[in-house]
Amino acid sequence: MLDTIRFIISLLLTLAGLFVLLSGVVGIFKFKYSLSRIHAGALFDTAGIVLMVLGVIVGQGFDLTSLKMLIIIGILWLTSPVSGHLIGRLEITINDELEKDMVVMDERMVRHEKEGD
Amino acid sequence: MAKIRNDYEHSWWPRLLQWLEDGSTRLDDELTAEMDESREGHLLPTHEDVAAHEAKLEERRNQKLADELAMYAHAHEWTRTKGAKLANWAYRIMSVVICVSIIWVLLQTAAYLPPFGSPDNPVNNEVSQRYIEKGMEETGAVNIVAGMILDYRAFDTLGESNVLFIAACSVLILLRVSSDKHDPTSVHQLEVEADDRMYEPKNDIILQHTVAFLVPVILLFGVYGVMNGHISPGGGFSGGAIMGAALILYLNAFGFKRTERFFTFKTFKTVSVCALSFYAISKAYSFFTGANHLHSFITPGTPGKLFSAGLIPYLNIAVGAVVCCTMYAFYTHFRKGDM
Repeated sequence: MLDTIRFIISLLLTLAGLFVLLSGVVGIFKFKYSLSRIHAGALFDTAGIVLMVLGVIVGQGFDLTSLKMLIIIGILWLTSPVSGHLIGRLEITINDELEKDMVVMDERMVRHEKEGD
Repeated sequence: MAKIRNDYEHSWWPRLLQWLEDGSTRLDDELTAEMDESREGHLLPTHEDVAAHEAKLEERRNQKLADELAMYAHAHEWTRTKGAKLANWAYRIMSVVICVSIIWVLLQTAAYLPPFGSPDNPVNNEVSQRYIEKGMEETGAVNIVAGMILDYRAFDTLGESNVLFIAACSVLILLRVSSDKHDPTSVHQLEVEADDRMYEPKNDIILQHTVAFLVPVILLFGVYGVMNGHISPGGGFSGGAIMGAALILYLNAFGFKRTERFFTFKTFKTVSVCALSFYAISKAYSFFTGANHLHSFITPGTPGKLFSAGLIPYLNIAVGAVVCCTMYAFYTHFRKGDM
């Protein structure tokens, strides 16, 4: 009985993670501009990874391996958004026709990026 | 037959014979013709002759040019329309043919492979049996793979480390820019390289904070991988790659000024050469004593302890240092042209 409940919870978590990852992939291919794509890619990473790994942890039972998996979640939560942020900065710096593709809210920030530190 | 006779008559021997017999008629004829021309006053061409000749030449040249241009235009037109279509078709057909042939070759190879897990497979011979049964006892390494690559086949691993070192040397030869401030060419090259990096995000505060937290962890993990290569999965190559990746991450976040404080070209040279020579010398000692059945102070020790398995941990450290330095050197040279 307990095993069945655990399996169902793990299945639900994994399926939710899969759904998030799938929607992120669709977003990456559907959006036109790189910044919108980064928006999709950087968001689905965090939510999808935590759901998938939690599903694995629940399905396997809590022990030392689950602790390691939690560390993996921490590392990926640290690195994935930072890489998305860096790609976004590079795109702002090198794209000279940013206004054509999207609405620029903060002109001053973009100019500051382009001129460099 | 007639051709052979013609060839014979035109070769030098019969002509010589003919000349000896009754003089060279052809030479005489040509000489007289030239004399005739000069006698008629045609030795110096007149003004009109030259003009006519030039006009004729000009006309011929123009004609040739026009022909050539027409040919080029035709070729250009052809490549744009018919040729493009043909190339497209050829490309498609060739891609399908190449794909199918590669698939066929691979499938044929796979069909000849021995069945998976069968005890009669050629891999299950006395070599692997010996490694599995006596590996821990003889080398002292719990990780059989470490015992294999750094003890039984240490010579092979030395070759691999040297391959990495030689690759690093080739990259140095091809990409290194001399940082000589007085040489105008090197100054120009350095400027070009710096221009290449102009648009990279610099001094990113988010990245710097993340890296300040992550790099020590990654480095520690790399050191753990190297040091425990003979006990758990890991080893010089993987641990060294992790350490090199940590250095590259640090460089990306903080720039060359910060990394140059602890890692310069001199460090690279010293560490690589020292590690490789230590590897070669220690393994030479081990091979010498082993082959001559001499007493060696290297013992396997207690398997599972950190300082056990004879030379393996130290060789792992040497390999890890070489791999780490090589990765970092590759990265810096492809990015800056110098360290």
